[in-house]
Amino acid sequence: MVKKFSQNQVERLLDLVPYLTSHQGVALEQIATDFQTDKLTIIDDLNTLWMCGLPGYTPLELIDLSFDTGFVTIRNAEVLSKPRKLSNLELATVIVGLNILRESIQPTNSHYENVSNLLKRLTISSSVPAPLSIHSSVDPEIRSICANGMKEKSNISIVYHSYAKDLESKRDVYPFGFQVVDGQEYLECFCYESKGFRLFRLDRIKSARISGPAQVLPEEEANTEVLRNFHFRVLAESRKVSEIFHIAISSDYSSKSEFESTAFNDEWIIRTICSLNAAAAITSPVVIREQIAERANRALALYV
Amino acid sequence: MSRKSERLVNLVIALLATKRSLTKAEIFRTIEGYEGTDESMERMFERDKDELRALGIEIEVSGIDPLFEDEQGYRIKPENFAMDSKGYSALEIAYMSLGAQLWKDASLGESSQRALRKLSGFASSIDVGDLPAIAPITLSAPNFLNEIIGAIADKKMIEFSYLDSDLNVKKRRVNVYSYFARQSYWYFSGLDVDKNDLRTFRCDRIVGDIATSKKTQSYQVPQDWISQSSLEETASNKQAILRIRVGRCSQLRSIAQSVQPEVEHDLVSIEYSSESEIVSLILWHLDDVEVVSPETLRSKLRTSLQSLVELHG
Repeated sequence: MVKKFSQNQVERLLDLVPYLTSHQGVALEQIATDFQTDKLTIIDDLNTLWMCGLPGYTPLELIDLSFDTGFVTIRNAEVLSKPRKLSNLELATVIVGLNILRESIQPTNSHYENVSNLLKRLTISSSVPAPLSIHSSVDPEIRSICANGMKEKSNISIVYHSYAKDLESKRDVYPFGFQVVDGQEYLECFCYESKGFRLFRLDRIKSARISGPAQVLPEEEANTEVLRNFHFRVLAESRKVSEIFHIAISSDYSSKSEFESTAFNDEWIIRTICSLNAAAAITSPVVIREQIAERANRALALYV
Repeated sequence: MSRKSERLVNLVIALLATKRSLTKAEIFRTIEGYEGTDESMERMFERDKDELRALGIEIEVSGIDPLFEDEQGYRIKPENFAMDSKGYSALEIAYMSLGAQLWKDASLGESSQRALRKLSGFASSIDVGDLPAIAPITLSAPNFLNEIIGAIADKKMIEFSYLDSDLNVKKRRVNVYSYFARQSYWYFSGLDVDKNDLRTFRCDRIVGDIATSKKTQSYQVPQDWISQSSLEETASNKQAILRIRVGRCSQLRSIAQSVQPEVEHDLVSIEYSSESEIVSLILWHLDDVEVVSPETLRSKLRTSLQSLVELHG
């Protein structure tokens, strides 16, 4: 959803003139859409503008508007015909946006250089601080193939590296969106292999290609992943642990000794706990507890 | 139809069109909408000026006659009012619109909507939707980016409550030097005034709001700041040799400088900067990986695995 923003009539009138000048013959409905308001407001705006012009205010000086056909033309509005300057914060949205855009394009693509040059010019002539860097570990080409799949409503065939299983696998998926979870970009899709809706981390998709039109998706999810409940203690680095396991921070945090969380697979729980390097320990279920002890012991054997 | 909007637009047009400054008397005489006693017109004009300035319009005030300082004149310089359109091609306008569109729903949403509306004033032969598949990075939207950008621009100190690594919420006062995005998180760095040391903060770990101090130009960003911080990111000065199982550990393989095959294992060499990160990554792969060297890293792993066993035994 597009956020509505507070509308000031004077501001809208000043932006309306350059817009009408460069879009001669535009339909009232289109103006309303582009200015995120309704047709009546625009008609009221046009009626107001009609009374504006240079001092003297004879037909020679007044802005000349015609809109009774439902299509708008404007004449005699040269003084206001250029788009208004962007404020610093407005320019900031453009500059930050262009930085994101540039990092989303492969350097070999001609858009990359165009956007870079534009950014250079915009930042030199303004006091708006640009972001130091925008870093993403996602291959822009993979993201773009996924986006094309969504646009064309096609399946894509991906090679996915599952960190939990430490395995690469080939999957056919129907992509329908991007999502950010815990600061990582994910592809939302229907996975034909697991017959369910899945999220795949974009930076772990090793390759992707459009593979053909989408098949009929099942109404009901045939195969939902079962969530595993587990309990754990936090021993150190509590912010990191709480972020990984999604514990809501509450005031009684320090007094609490045990927390509960859920995960989709045991392998992820085991490896995550190990990688946390004793900052957290599983208390239940016992199966997972035992597995961690056993596998850590096996690894330990390499060092004794 | 609003008489007030009409008067304000007429005022803008007159102040923009004039080659020399207009006195109040001239404004009241020639611009439609100023009526009543001198006093009420005076009040009206003061309010109008404030309102236009709030919309970001620069009204220049100047003494018209050097001998009579009280006779002030007003005008709006076209170069301060309008965007420099000569410099931008249709394609560039399209890029700018696409850039601003990325913020539609985020904290910068309102500013981006205004930017987009102004940009729509350019005749564009290019529809943004027609630009070839640039699929932009999806970033989480911090609520504070506008405050942070504003603070850096005006060199104002900011104050906020922050969740530290032990989950204590502490007040921090920071002179912000720069901001950046890593993966999908926004960060900012600068001088922590109380600790008198450089620190980096993740926007979503801020609890509550950011308060910006009133005082502008209260600090300077060190000259070598940018080169300094980019160095930090790339420095990987330590090297580890790991023995990893064939067909496993793709994460480690992808960051390896070299791979040397053995019978059931491969020897890989990895450069790293943070010891805790590499330990974490090695622990993730459990018995599929063994640290060969350096000895310090081997003993770290031994200790870590021992405590994991003890904790879960």
